[in-house]
Parts: sequence; C-alpha cells; structure tokens
Amino acid sequence: MLEINNLQKSFQRKIALDDISLSVGKGEIYGLLGPNGAGKTTLIRIINQIIEADSGTIRFNGQLMTQAHLAQIGYLPEERGLYKNMQVEEQLIFLAQLRGLTKKEAQRNVRHWLTKFGIEDWRSKRIESLSKGMAQKVQFIAALVHDPQLLVLDEPLSGFDPVNVELILTEMKELKANGKTIILSTHNMRSVDEICDRASLIHEAKKLAEDTVWNLREQHNQGEYLVRFKGNMIGFVNALWTDFELLGHEEIGENRFLAKLKMRGASQMNDLIHALVGKVELELIEKKLPSMQEVFIDIIRGKEEAHA
Amino acid sequence: MRNFWLLTKREWSERVWNRTFLWMLFIGPIICLLMLAFLFKAGDEGKKSINVLIVDPANLMDNRVMAQAEHEVHYYFIDDYVEIEEFRDGSRYQKFDAMVEINEKILINKKAFVFYRTNPSVDVKMQLKFQMERRIEELVVESFTNLSLEHFRRIKQPLIMDFRNVFDPKNESNDLESWVGFVFGALIFLFIGIYGMTILRSTAKEKSNRIVEVLLSAVKPRQLMMGKMTGIALAALFQILIWSLFIGLGLWIFRQTIFPDMLNPANWQGVQLAADVQSQVIATQEGLSSNPVLDLVYARIDYVWMSIHFVIFFIAAYYFYGAFFSMIGAMTGTESDGQQFVMPILLLLVFAILSGYMYIQYPDSTFAGWISYLPFTAPMVVMIQLAQGVPIESYYLIWIHLFIILLSAMLMLQIAGRLYKNGILQFGHRLRLTQIWRMFKS
Repeated sequence: MLEINNLQKSFQRKIALDDISLSVGKGEIYGLLGPNGAGKTTLIRIINQIIEADSGTIRFNGQLMTQAHLAQIGYLPEERGLYKNMQVEEQLIFLAQLRGLTKKEAQRNVRHWLTKFGIEDWRSKRIESLSKGMAQKVQFIAALVHDPQLLVLDEPLSGFDPVNVELILTEMKELKANGKTIILSTHNMRSVDEICDRASLIHEAKKLAEDTVWNLREQHNQGEYLVRFKGNMIGFVNALWTDFELLGHEEIGENRFLAKLKMRGASQMNDLIHALVGKVELELIEKKLPSMQEVFIDIIRGKEEAHA
Repeated sequence: MRNFWLLTKREWSERVWNRTFLWMLFIGPIICLLMLAFLFKAGDEGKKSINVLIVDPANLMDNRVMAQAEHEVHYYFIDDYVEIEEFRDGSRYQKFDAMVEINEKILINKKAFVFYRTNPSVDVKMQLKFQMERRIEELVVESFTNLSLEHFRRIKQPLIMDFRNVFDPKNESNDLESWVGFVFGALIFLFIGIYGMTILRSTAKEKSNRIVEVLLSAVKPRQLMMGKMTGIALAALFQILIWSLFIGLGLWIFRQTIFPDMLNPANWQGVQLAADVQSQVIATQEGLSSNPVLDLVYARIDYVWMSIHFVIFFIAAYYFYGAFFSMIGAMTGTESDGQQFVMPILLLLVFAILSGYMYIQYPDSTFAGWISYLPFTAPMVVMIQLAQGVPIESYYLIWIHLFIILLSAMLMLQIAGRLYKNGILQFGHRLRLTQIWRMFKS
C-alpha cells in the first residue's frame, strides 16, 4: 500500500530523516516507534504531504504519491487541533469535504460515526465546550470520517481514559478487519504488542529495526521461562539441572510458586518439562518473550552502547 | 480550487456569523450617520454676527449697503486700498471679521472677494451676499440702464461671491473634491488595517490551536493562505456593502426629514429671495448648499464612480498588504511576537494616509509623483485623482496604477506563500530576522 524509499530530510543543519525506507502492506497495522525527536513526526508529515522530503520517494498503491492521494489518507496529528468555535458536526463535515466528500456524503458519514461512538448528542456543541477527552474523540472521527484507505495516527491513545483507550483499540482492530491500513506512531507499547502486525524503530533519524512484532520480540528473547507450580520449592530447585538457572521466584499462594528460569546451553522447553514432571505439580510453563517496551529499550541501549 | 472555496466559505462564515460582526453591521452605520449629522450641523455654524470692512477705493458704494441693514452684519467702509496681509495682520483691522474688496469692475463682472478670519455661518454669508447684491443692483441700474430698479430685479443675474480664507487667498487647499478622494482612500486603508489584523490573528490562532496541521494534510499552504485571505476579504466587502446601503439610506432619510431646510435654498434663513432669483441661485451655485459638509456629501460625490474604483483598489491593495499580515501570522511563534512585527506594516498604512494629505497639498511635487506609483500609497493617490476628476484621455493612468498594485500584490503573495509554508508549522519560537531569512531561503 505504501512504499517509502530512501527518504532524506534536513532542517538547516539538523538531519531529521536519514535514508529511511519502509513498506506498509494493505490491511496491516504498522507501528512506528522511536524516542522523542527521533524523526517519526517528520516522517508522518512527509507521508501526509505537509512537508516535502529533500530526496527519496513515496509510492501509494504503486503510484508516486501526489496531493490527489490525500483524499485516501486520514491523519490524526499528535498535537490535536480543531476550530474551537465551530460545532462538532459542522467541523467534521468541513474536514470531510476538504478530503473530497460531497456535503451529502459528509453529512451521512458524520452521523454514522457520531452514532457509532455514542456521541450523536454532541453534534451541535461547540468544540470549546467539550472536555479534552471528548474533543479527542471528535478528532479521531475527523481522521476517518472520509473513509480513507490509509490511516496515519500519531499517538492516538494519548489523552484518553482506559475505557476510551479500549474503544479506540477495538475500533482500530475493526478498521483493520475491514481492510484499512493503519500507521500507528505511539509510545504506548501495550497497544503495539496488542494490535500491531509489524513495526519499525527509528532513532536519531535512522531506522534501526523493522519486522513483525512477533519476530522483533523473538529476536530479543533472552531465553527466559515462567513456571507456575504447586509443591515444594526445595524439590523444584533440586529437580533443575545445571542446564537451568533460577533467576527468581515468588510464592503466590499456599505451596504455589511462580519461578523465573533461564535456559543454559541448548536446553529446550521439553527438557524443562521432562526435568520437572513428577517433582512438582506443574500448572503453567511459558516462554517469556520481551514486551515491545523491552525490545525498544534493548535496541536503544544497544545503539547507545555501540556509540560509547 | 474546490478546497480553496471551502476554506474561503468557512472563513467568511466565521467572520460574518459572529455576534460582534452582526452588531457592527448596524452600529457602524449608525455611528457614521451620527457623525455626519454632527458635521452637517457643525458646518452650518460659525459667527452669528460679524463686522465687515468694505474696501471701496473708488467709493462706488457711497458708504452704504442698503436702506435697512440687518443687525447680524455690521458694515464699515474705507475708500482706500487695503492689502490682504495688512488686513490680516494690521492692528487697526483686527476688529473686522471679514473684508470685502470692491473694485471698479464690480459693476461689470459682478464679482467680489470676501476675505474672512473665521468662516461665517451660512446665515451670515447669505445676508452679506444678499445685502451687497442689492446695493450693487442699485448702482448697475443707475449707471447702465434706464430701467426701474424693480424692473431690473426681475431680469437680473445673481452675484457670484467667492468666499476665501485670508490665510489661503488663492484657495489652493480648500479643494473639497480632493478631500472626498482622501476620505475614500483613507477608508481603503482603514479597512485594510482592520481586516489585515484579522488575517494575522486568524492565522496565529490556527497555529496556536494546531488545526493547521490537520488542514495542511488536505490542502496546500498557499491554498490555505489564499482561502483565508479571500474569505476575510469577502467579509470586508460584505461589511462595506451593508454599511454603504445603510449610510445611503440614512442620508436619504436625513435629506427628507432632518435637514430638508438646509438643502433647500428657499428655506435658507435670513434671506427672502424672490422666486425667480432662487432658481438662478440654484443654477449658479457650485454645490447644493453653502454648508460645505452638505455640499460634500450631497453634491460633490459621484458615488457610483467612486464606489466602483473603491472596490477595485480595495481588493488590489488588500491582497498586497494582506500578504504581509499573512506571512507575519504564519512566522510568529507567539501572539506578542506578531504584534511587534506588525508595527511596521501599520506604520506603512498610516504613511499611506498621510501621503494622501501631502498629495493634496503639493500635487506637483516629486514626492507626489513617487507616491502615485508606489504600491503602498498608490490607492490613496488614485482615489484623490478620481475625486478631482480624471480626463478621459488620462484615464489609462489609473489602470497603470492598478496594474502596478496587482503586480506587487502577486509578487508579495509569492513571497508570503513561501514564508507561510515554512513558518506555519513552527511553534513556540521567538521570531528573529535571521529566522525569517532562513524561512525564505529554505
């Protein structure tokens, strides 16, 4: 759906994007990760044709991207902004019309989304009379009211309470199920773990990693396992051979423990099960993959250590 | 183009469907009409009683004006020459408010100059004129005809009396038509100032509430800038149109109800002219009344001609100056920054208005030549020229002025578009000249 090739952008002497290439497939939720100032917003603005790249190309559905493609893109910027003295419905219709919808289509879509989000009563309210969270919802609707093929969402969950975070995450999953493509820039790693198919990590204007979320977590796997069992802790420790290192444990109930282990050598999960069966009553054995948060920190630290 | 009109429409709606704007649509014309009514009244005021020195070296008048002189005008006679400067500055003449020069040719050309210190009221002027005229008639009949006075009066022509300021005896600066143009020009710059600030504030507001990023993901920066400017221009033109209609209606009501006596020579106080003379007075008067403000408003302004040019030059000048306001709004990081950087533009507007005054005072100076071609000041000069009357063979010069302003506006919009694009997404900074240069280069 979107192919970005060798993007380069500088602001005076500061390099904002350095040879960034990535591709986002149709129907995919793509996570754009990176610390503050990494260049994510610059990349997003270039995708939305708000600013121009110094060099490099962007292709949308195989075509070199132009202003005309913007009608197929929905954008939620990190810094939210709406006309404060306009009414909710009036504002959404205006923004939908700017994206190419006729007035009738815009009215129909706006009603649909206001109803879907359960906020049809707000249609005549001025934005200035809404709470921050309410305005965020309106802004979210503004990004998808024109039924875009690609959604670019910059920190879509910030400012929402947990209930609304769930609502937005569910909506994103539904959009994906309907074949929409989403580029998600966020610091909320739980959402990346939960909904992203693939992700890339940008740091200091460069892309450091790009893969499926599962592969990224797998690549940074430390060989750790979680074991929950009933029985005697001494018996459990005695059952472990030198192939397993006990990293820690906690008692979570009467004679019930949760232990964290690390494999040594070429040991596999089957070896662990074999060693423990009959010694303790096993309830759960889980390969502990790092969260995207840990992957993120791991990559950034690795990069900084390499610099040092 | 569709998005341009959407932006224009939104901006227009925001300006027009605003309670303050709607109130001002009515309050503005009312204030203007009250001011005009005040000026009409003020224009009719002056000294109610004056001492007039009749300078009559040939003693044509025989030291009398008419049998029963009105008490508002006291006449004194001197059968010697008195220079204007002598009358103006000489201590023995200070008690006289006006001096009437009677020369030997008065019986032929029927023209006398009245040099006044302060402009007399309409009543007094009319009395003076009437009484002098009566006396001259007696002399004319006596010297040149065998007619009876009554018979002569039936066939006579009215006397033309040219009232002139003793400090400006050649009447160079009292050109009412020029001031009509000045008022139209000043209105152009007044509206540009008001609506230019609206452009600046609206741009700065879109920046500060961050809606600009959403908009720029759908439209080009130049489109956004032009849409905003055009929407605000339409609101300005709408206000001008409504104000013009209300003020026009108000002036018509004034004419019909409040000031009919001031506009009808038959009702001019203190003078009971014969009916035939009245019609002659109306035919020979330069204006409709002796009240200069009434003259200006009801007789000297060709509203259609001036209004068409007002709108054309307002639009051209608005885009020229609006480009400055737009780029300042887009480049500034804070509103206070914007206020500082807008000062030079506001000073330019003041300069443009002052240049109109200078043009009226010194129309043949090199300065006047320059300001008529500078896009900053040309609209003012053009409005004055149009009010003074442009001969048809020189009318092309007006279009040359317009072409220069339009060309300058297009150039400024190009520059503004570039700065707008580079400045609109920069937030929270202190604007410096070096930064403006960088925005221009990048």
